[in-house]
Amino acid sequence: MKLKHVILVAIAGLVLSMLSACTAGAMSGSSWPGLAADETTAYLANGTFVYAVRLGDGMETWRYPEKADNKRLFFSAPLLTSDEQLIIGSSGSDHTLFSLNQKNGSENWKFTGAKGHWIASPLEEDETIYAPNGDGTLYVIGLDGSLRWSLPLGDLLWSQPRTDGSLIYIASLDHKLYAVDPQRQELAWEVTISGAIPGSPVIGDNGTLFVGSFGSKLDAIDITRHDIRWSSPTKGWIWGSPAVDAETIYFGDLSGHFYALDAASGEEKWAPLQPDGPIVGSPLVTPDYLAITTEVGSVYAIDREGKIVWNRLIGGKLYSPAVVAGDLILVAPMQADFILAALDKNGSQVWTFKPVKK
Amino acid sequence: MWDTFIVTPLTNLLLWIYDVIGNNFGLAIILFTILIRAVTWPLNAQQLKGAQAMQQLQQDKDWQAIQKKYKDNKEKLAQEQMRVYKEKGINPFGSCLPTLIQFPIIIGLYQSIIRALAATPLSLLQLTRSIYPFLNVSILIPLNSHFLWMDLGRPEFIKLFGFNLPTLAIIVGLTTYVQSKLTMPPPSSGPKDQGAAMGNMMSIYMPLLLFYFALTFASGLSVYFITSNMLGILQYAMMGKANWRNLIPGAKKS
Repeated sequence: MKLKHVILVAIAGLVLSMLSACTAGAMSGSSWPGLAADETTAYLANGTFVYAVRLGDGMETWRYPEKADNKRLFFSAPLLTSDEQLIIGSSGSDHTLFSLNQKNGSENWKFTGAKGHWIASPLEEDETIYAPNGDGTLYVIGLDGSLRWSLPLGDLLWSQPRTDGSLIYIASLDHKLYAVDPQRQELAWEVTISGAIPGSPVIGDNGTLFVGSFGSKLDAIDITRHDIRWSSPTKGWIWGSPAVDAETIYFGDLSGHFYALDAASGEEKWAPLQPDGPIVGSPLVTPDYLAITTEVGSVYAIDREGKIVWNRLIGGKLYSPAVVAGDLILVAPMQADFILAALDKNGSQVWTFKPVKK
Repeated sequence: MWDTFIVTPLTNLLLWIYDVIGNNFGLAIILFTILIRAVTWPLNAQQLKGAQAMQQLQQDKDWQAIQKKYKDNKEKLAQEQMRVYKEKGINPFGSCLPTLIQFPIIIGLYQSIIRALAATPLSLLQLTRSIYPFLNVSILIPLNSHFLWMDLGRPEFIKLFGFNLPTLAIIVGLTTYVQSKLTMPPPSSGPKDQGAAMGNMMSIYMPLLLFYFALTFASGLSVYFITSNMLGILQYAMMGKANWRNLIPGAKKS
């Protein structure tokens, strides 16, 4: 009979581990890394740790926390505030928003009032942190970590808010773009578009917001009239935020096409390019070119005429957008031998970073 | 393989039901479970019959005599047991094989529920890749994971007098206990009735195990467990095999 007990316990263990495996991956926040950088340091949120990596030589300066805690998983791009805080939320079963010291990674404060995953990066404006959460609420927090006010908006809020100095614009997976008035602490207006919006809206010069969505369209929204000025169909779903450069909107889609549209009319500036894979991350605008990342693990530098300047296969899968830091372009691949790579302006690899196991 | 043949079809079926019934994920899981139960109904019936045949065999005099006679010769005992199985037309794996077949379905079902809920960017990206063209997912996403008072993507609790009461997990434990008790055949008089002992063990372990699952994992799984248990009880009752007396402590066995 003892053997049967053992068999039963073993079967239970097997079922438990199988369910745990699929649950941990899906529900506890398995995702691609989030990246931010200042003049000297890159900050990478990658699973159980946030790493600070020196730009000069690619060496780790600190990591948070010291010991991994599977309840706390970090994937959003950290927010670097004006007073040298690093704000990052957990996408694990623990839904805490942390403030760390940028210099040494020590904890400043914690905000534990949210109920969902922190997928979106927060926004800092007027010494205030606007932090959208997966529970559909915008939490407005002081730089000291105190909750000032909160506003329930819609479903999953996964992207960083943007502001024109007057209103805060937040995209939601519930197919809506919300404009929040921070003075009145209320919703000013909202617009419904044809699909879920996982990326941030971008504000153009002429009072227009640009958002890409799963409706396979890039929509230009009139800020004053609160309606869609024009829509441009795409071949696939748009995940990342578009980039605005002068009069042109640049963005990629999941079918692997890269577009350049006239901001005023939505007309194509040039025929969509087809790099080597789907484009999830937002384009990076530099003075010399636009840099995009593909799922296949490549970085492409494309000039403003739509010509590929260079491309480099990094390896792994590149979902996070490239980030510029001084003379370097930083990319954070998934499923590669390293978790951060620095390229120079010509696409040559300067260093890679792989954390040492402690 | 696993993904292509199990998880992806189940995910699409689940999303199709969700779409058809008007974007109610809880109801979609319930209907999905009913469908899966209907498909596996013959397997369950076979399992029940197999278990009962094995139980009756324990009380068979010929069987008991073989056990006694060849207790020190395992090889001969196995040969004789196979002879009796053959004579009586019993498949010794008849009770456990259907369970083994259902096992991947349960795992696949859970994975499909989790995938459909797509709680993180990577899981949403994976979901977009596993949808068949006939579904217009751009309209369906994000799925409405709220059902009654629950968020089906998270473990369920109701706050009561300052405590988080896991109501769904309790119902999962109770229905599993009831189901296992109802399907327990009446024990034989013999103290070495291994079948009855095994049944007793299962009726304790399974509710505890599923209670733990429900407590820890997404409540969508609890909805599946409860629906599945209720349908199991219904099936046994319809087949006239449910031993309701087993539920009454101290009641005389039928």
